[in-house]
Amino acid sequence: MHRSFRDNQRVMTQSGKSLNIVKFLGAGGQGEVYEVNYDGRRLALKWYFVQTGTENQRNMVEKLIKVGKPDERFLWPVDVITVYNKRSFGYLMPLRPIQFSNIVDLMKRRVEPSFDSVITACIQLADSFHKLHEKDLCYRDISFGNFFFHARTGDVLICDNDNVTHTKITNAGVLGTPRFMAPEVVMGHSKPNMASDLFSLSILIFYMLMMHHPLEGKQEKQIKCFDLPAMTKLYGERPVFIFDPMNHSNRPVPGYHDNAIAFWPIYTERIRQLFTQTFTKGAKYPEQRISEKIWRDVLIELKNSITICDCGMENFYDIHKLKTNVQNKCWQCQKMLHPASRLKINNEIVILNLNTKLYGHHLMAQEKYRFKKILAEVVPHPILEGRSGLKNLSKIPWRVKTKEGKQYTIDFGKSFTIEDGTMIQFGEVEGMIRKG
Amino acid sequence: MKMRPGGELATRPLEFIWLADCSISMRNSGKIDALNEAIRKSIPHMQEVAYENPNAQVYIRAIKFSSGASWHIEDRVPVESFEWEDLEVKGVTDLGAAFKLLKDSLRVSEMSDRALPPVIVLISDGQPTDDYKAALKELMEEPWAVKAVKIAIAIGRSANKRILKEFCGEQGIEVLSADNAETLVEYIKWVSTVVLQAASSPASQASEIQTMGINVSIPIIDDDFEDIETISIEDVW
Repeated sequence: MHRSFRDNQRVMTQSGKSLNIVKFLGAGGQGEVYEVNYDGRRLALKWYFVQTGTENQRNMVEKLIKVGKPDERFLWPVDVITVYNKRSFGYLMPLRPIQFSNIVDLMKRRVEPSFDSVITACIQLADSFHKLHEKDLCYRDISFGNFFFHARTGDVLICDNDNVTHTKITNAGVLGTPRFMAPEVVMGHSKPNMASDLFSLSILIFYMLMMHHPLEGKQEKQIKCFDLPAMTKLYGERPVFIFDPMNHSNRPVPGYHDNAIAFWPIYTERIRQLFTQTFTKGAKYPEQRISEKIWRDVLIELKNSITICDCGMENFYDIHKLKTNVQNKCWQCQKMLHPASRLKINNEIVILNLNTKLYGHHLMAQEKYRFKKILAEVVPHPILEGRSGLKNLSKIPWRVKTKEGKQYTIDFGKSFTIEDGTMIQFGEVEGMIRKG
Repeated sequence: MKMRPGGELATRPLEFIWLADCSISMRNSGKIDALNEAIRKSIPHMQEVAYENPNAQVYIRAIKFSSGASWHIEDRVPVESFEWEDLEVKGVTDLGAAFKLLKDSLRVSEMSDRALPPVIVLISDGQPTDDYKAALKELMEEPWAVKAVKIAIAIGRSANKRILKEFCGEQGIEVLSADNAETLVEYIKWVSTVVLQAASSPASQASEIQTMGINVSIPIIDDDFEDIETISIEDVW
């Protein structure tokens, strides 16, 4: 109830160092978070309530510090703090930069990122959870409150890592957050583990892409009072995916679940298949859930497939539709989409719209799954209207060979015209342009 | 410019209803002033919780009771525009009249057909002066009253906690005792933030924290007031 510290309070840690409480940032179910100054560094301090600051919790945090962060997106504990004359304890972690939004901002449309940014954020989440699970660690409590993202770049930060433990540990203090828990955890048949993390991750990705919960359809609409027993029924006892191809009993209802209806057809068939599997078979059989690795790869496919319609809106060019002779239409203006040129690179196909960027992920082996370094960008020709080129923004000169056999070297800052059949040696990898 | 279709995440309404004792005894030791101040102070915290909550649209209402009961805030006010007008004291403690008024507003026909559990906070310092028992029984025949999260705050030593507990229910949340203005502020803040959040968008569930026998998991109140001196009610109100 009472805050454990006042703003601008200076306290002495039991290790004899001075800790300046700068300001209160927020409180959750387990404790409070403060911005602090410690050892000349601006950090965040999570301070546990007396009931939650148990010996077990402290051991968990100490172990995490020893194991180290899976990647730089995790705001990982760096030091355990105890304070003279105070019960409980806390830990220090990096502070979230202010330009990062929380997922609630996305859900309430207080930020309006592009599809590209949202998908980049989902790729990063899947990639980071893959790295976490590779270390045999399990997150246990995926929810809106535990992530931040940069609305322009799609960069992600993962906080509240203090419930992370080795996947085999079953006495970790947390069960998860309603709406995000896997059915077997909701029903009390299992404690959170790696498989329940995968279910929760899929819920989060669904929320971010569809702005809706995958199990809230007709059944949810029929519930008058949405309390815990209702949630247990909907998310635990009888979870029915709203787009289950075999069971139509829980379809989204117009007027109540409009986001699901609006977003679902926009995405590619491959993305819809993954959601369908994870929320139908995967709801019952944890081993059938989609792995973070598959999510990451298919979301990269989705990002690469972005096609800008003449009306200016982002769409996804679905190769599956071409195979089944279904036209790709813009979700906004309903006009047929004409894909721009495509770059085939590393078994990926990237649609080259004006302003499409190639990142470390595309051109450098050691930057795989990273979308930070922009190494190339599609730019308009400075004079010739309708012509576009690929501009080299990397330090490595490219070798370009056209269909007609002409060869050029493209240094940093230079561009070459995008034409069918052009081969590009980017240094580590080779790509080919296809048009039409 | 909107770059994606659709709108905000779908929400459900949540009614948060204050049930405030305005009997003459609330004037003693400045209790009514403390209550007005505590509710007013809680508004920004309540608005902050609502701002961060993607699942609920929170509406506020308030009933006052003394000799009879009436609406202090009758129309459902969205929390974003919630303001608190001071309550004034007069008369006796007709809690039963307040329950009757509450019952009428919780009728299925009066409520939205899809909502989150309402949160009802009863604050009293005394003994009911009417037949509260029959009114409470009738109130609890309304499904929304049964589903509601019911919290009672007893102000001072003369409040009848047994009766307040009847309102919360045997399996419900224990009555909170506010013996000084500061504790009252903290309890009011707790119900308008933690309880509000739990009723609409439950936070992370801890396995060692026992949920009470109700339909909403309310985190344990952290009453670790170690650095607050205990001040007697006569000194502080």
